[in-house]
Amino acid sequence: MKGKCYIQGMAAISPQPTFEGDIFQAPLVHTDSNLLACIEPDYKPFIPGNSLRRMTRTLKMGLTAALKCIQDSGISSPGPIITGTGKGSLQDTEKFIKEIVEYKETALNPTPFIQSTYNSVNGLIALQQKCTAYNNTFVHRGFSFENALLDSIMMIQEGASHTLTGAFEEITQEHFYIKSRIGCWKSAPVNSQDVYQQLSPGTIAGEGATFFTLTDAATPQSYAAISGFRMLYKPSEEKLATTLRNFSQSADLVICGRNGDSNHEHYYEVMDACFPGVPQLPFKHLCGEYDTAGAFGLWLGAWILKAQQLPASWFPMQEQLTAPVHSILFYNHFFGEQHVMLQLERV
Amino acid sequence: MEELKKKLKEQIIEALNLQDTKPEDIDDNAPLFGEGLGLDSIDSLELMVLLERQYHIKVEDPREGRKILQSVQSMAEFITSKQPA
Repeated sequence: MKGKCYIQGMAAISPQPTFEGDIFQAPLVHTDSNLLACIEPDYKPFIPGNSLRRMTRTLKMGLTAALKCIQDSGISSPGPIITGTGKGSLQDTEKFIKEIVEYKETALNPTPFIQSTYNSVNGLIALQQKCTAYNNTFVHRGFSFENALLDSIMMIQEGASHTLTGAFEEITQEHFYIKSRIGCWKSAPVNSQDVYQQLSPGTIAGEGATFFTLTDAATPQSYAAISGFRMLYKPSEEKLATTLRNFSQSADLVICGRNGDSNHEHYYEVMDACFPGVPQLPFKHLCGEYDTAGAFGLWLGAWILKAQQLPASWFPMQEQLTAPVHSILFYNHFFGEQHVMLQLERV
Repeated sequence: MEELKKKLKEQIIEALNLQDTKPEDIDDNAPLFGEGLGLDSIDSLELMVLLERQYHIKVEDPREGRKILQSVQSMAEFITSKQPA
C-alpha cells in the first residue's frame, strides 16, 4: 500500500453499546440465541420524523451511524461517500418479494422496492448532507466493506482530502433461517461469550453499521493510521502464511475474526503460527458473523490504538495491555472465502 | 361518505406509517401534499397502491391522480363515484 490514510472520525451501531457512552466501561452483551442483534439508538436526534417513518432498520442504522461519524470527525461535508454491504436492506427486500407473490406482480408498494436497492443508505446520507460528490456502494459478499475501503484509499491517494467510508448489514429471522439451512450457524444454541470454546461447524450471526471518516493527513484527533491492506480470495494455507509473514512482522497485537467455526478454523491456526507470542483479540463474540463484520474489527482496533487500553468487560480472556500498542495486525475471513489483512498504526 | 372518510384516514395512516398522526388530526379538506400532512411524491405512489389494493381502482392518468389525491374528501368522492350504483 502506498502511503497511509487516517481515521479521523468513526461511529458504530452494533450488538454492543458502541454508539454512545464510554466503551471502556461498557458491559459485555451476550446471547444464547446464536444471533447477536444491534442495540438501536434513538434515531430522532439524527433523522427528521417525516423521513424516519419510511425507513427500515438498516437504513436507520446506516444513516445514523454515518451522521454520528461525520459529527465525530468535525468535518462539515462528507465528500465522497463510499460504502459496502453484503445484503443491503433485507427487510425491504423480503417485503418486496413477498408482495410480488401476494399481489401477483401488481399493485406493489414503491417504498420497499426503492429501499431494497443497495445504494439507498448512500443516497440518504447524500440527500441529508446535500452532498453531490462521488457516491458508490460495493456489494461483494465478504469483500464489500473492504472494496469500499480500497476505493476510499485510492480516492485519497488521488487527492481527495477525506472520504466517508462505511458498512451496514442486518440479519432478519428469515435470512437467519435460510443461512441455517446451509450450515452457516451452529446447530445448537451457544452462548456468544463462549463461542471460541465451542469449536463445531457454523458460527453465530450478527449485524451492524460502522462508518469512518478517512483523511489524507493526521490530526491530534486521529484514531489510527491504515498503513497496510491486502485481500486474498480463497487462498491456500501456504499462500495465506506467506502473505501474513510478509505483511506485518511488527504487530504488537493481533485482532482476528475467529468465530468458533470448525470448518474454517484452520486459517486462524495458520495465523497463530505466523505470530507466536503476540497477544490476540478475537471480536466475533461482540458482533457476530456477517459480510461486513470487518468494519467492526477495524473500529475496535482504531479505538484500542487511540485509547491504549482494552474494553475490559469485552475481553475477559485477555489481561489489560502491559506495553504500548503501536501496530495492530487485523485478519478476518468470511466463511473461508474472502480473506482480509489490515495493518493499523498508532498516530 | 363519513364512514368512508374515517376508514380512508385510518388506511392512509397505516400505509404511510404516520406514527404521530390520529385520524381526527386529518382535516377532510386539508391538502395531503406540501402543507397539511406534508406528503411527498413517494407517498402519492403509495396512495395509488392503496386505492388499487383496498378499492380495486387503478388510476391510469397521473394528471387525474393529482386531483384525486388532493385531500381525503377528494379521495372519498372519487372512490364513491367508482362504486357500482
